[in-house]
Amino acid sequence: MAVNCYFTFPTVYFALRAEAVLKDSGCSFKMVPVPRAISSSCGTALRCPCEEIDAIKEVLENNKVQWDNVHLLQEEEPRPRSRGLLARKEARA
Amino acid sequence: MTTKAPNLYFDNAATTWPKPESVCRAVEANLRQSFGNPGRSGLSRSLESDRVVYQTRQKVADFFHIEDPSRLVFAFNATDALNMAIKGLLNRGDHVIFTAMEHNSVLRPLGSLRRDGFITTTAVPCDKEGRPDLDYLEKAFTPRTKLVICSHASNVTGTILPVDTICLLAHQKGAFLLVDAAQSAGVLPIDLSLLEADLLAFTGHKGLLGPPGTGGLYVREGIDLKPWREGGTGSFSEEDLQPQVMPEKMEAGTLNTTGLAGLQAGIEFIQETGIDEIRRHELKMRRLLKSKLLALPGLTVYGPADDAQCVGVLSFTVEGVDCGELGRLLEDPYGIITRTGLHCAPLAHKAIGTFPQGTVRLSPGYFTREEDVERVALALEEILRVKV
Ligand SMILES: Cc1ncc(COP(=O)(O)O)c(C=O)c1O
Repeated sequence: MAVNCYFTFPTVYFALRAEAVLKDSGCSFKMVPVPRAISSSCGTALRCPCEEIDAIKEVLENNKVQWDNVHLLQEEEPRPRSRGLLARKEARA
Repeated sequence: MTTKAPNLYFDNAATTWPKPESVCRAVEANLRQSFGNPGRSGLSRSLESDRVVYQTRQKVADFFHIEDPSRLVFAFNATDALNMAIKGLLNRGDHVIFTAMEHNSVLRPLGSLRRDGFITTTAVPCDKEGRPDLDYLEKAFTPRTKLVICSHASNVTGTILPVDTICLLAHQKGAFLLVDAAQSAGVLPIDLSLLEADLLAFTGHKGLLGPPGTGGLYVREGIDLKPWREGGTGSFSEEDLQPQVMPEKMEAGTLNTTGLAGLQAGIEFIQETGIDEIRRHELKMRRLLKSKLLALPGLTVYGPADDAQCVGVLSFTVEGVDCGELGRLLEDPYGIITRTGLHCAPLAHKAIGTFPQGTVRLSPGYFTREEDVERVALALEEILRVKV
């Protein structure tokens, strides 16, 4: 189990603006669909390790990116996805 | 472009053609883009589309020097953007001032609001060169004047209108200024950090060299428009009212993502070429056209004597010859594409004295070459030899 942090945004515009301004910031984050446990007006959220929260908030604030909430979620470590079918196809090709 | 075939398309004021190769490629690539690549973010096709919209918004905002891209709303063309502005801003009892050079995309929305008793309006007369009477304009303000509408450049005469001066006047009187940049965006520099217009409408398929179905409206911070189109925004889906956050507020429904990918490439082409270079070329073509036309008998050319006060639009008539027939003869047998008649701007034609018969309009573009202009002159000379 790991704790992940999710930023939610009022609109897609701000979610994508967050992605754009954070791209070269050195912060580690990923844009993901909003997990079911969270409610958000916009369907895309920003996931990051909890220790990045403050740095990310600072970048967002400096760039006037509005966000709605910061949620903490206990999650299972993502398992590696099976590539079974695809791997077989590639082997044949 | 690179081809040696003549480019006799002289209707760039209606829509530019050809488009840069990069625009065609961007449109095709967008349509073909695969969204199911394994190893990608795992996000939906919709987020990839959202990214295209986001990037294009940023590109357009940079191009017009708009500080906050969220104040730039995408529309489907200038008409859509002008309707958004006019119907979104005005309230019952408001008074609106507009110039006689305005296009039907301004005149008709105003006309229906006026017919319904919702607003009152004043048209500012323009002189034969298409320049608005600024004294008249200054006296036209009433305490109820909410909005002044002015095109940046006329689609009939090519005249560049003094939007800076009109902006100052409007603001002194406490009114907003809406600029119709349909004919200027992409060919005249527009810097919204200097020009303090409150609203600016543009279309993507003319000077910006993008595909049809693209355009937008800049809305200065602090101006609140009622959305005239309401529906899905991909956000706040549980609410039964349109969300109030810009730009989504004004952009209900699926946007023309493919078109916007093309628009982005169009603006990149302009930035790489240099807007000054495009302007220089269009002016050169207009000058050349004008000097050739003026050498022909019985021909009248409209618009400012000084070409530097024009965009690449040139209207003319020939004494005693119907302009529709002239347009047809230029097209067949010569293959020269022009636009004849009133160009959706009846008051502009009244101002220059060509109502109701209209004019023949020649509008060269960045891809027009000198030899194309020579061909137009030769064709006209031949036609007139028979006709006049
Ligand atoms: C001055 C002017 N305003 C508005 C428009 C409308 O543009 P669109 O047809 O892209 O809506 C045009 C062109 O047709 C125009 O020349």
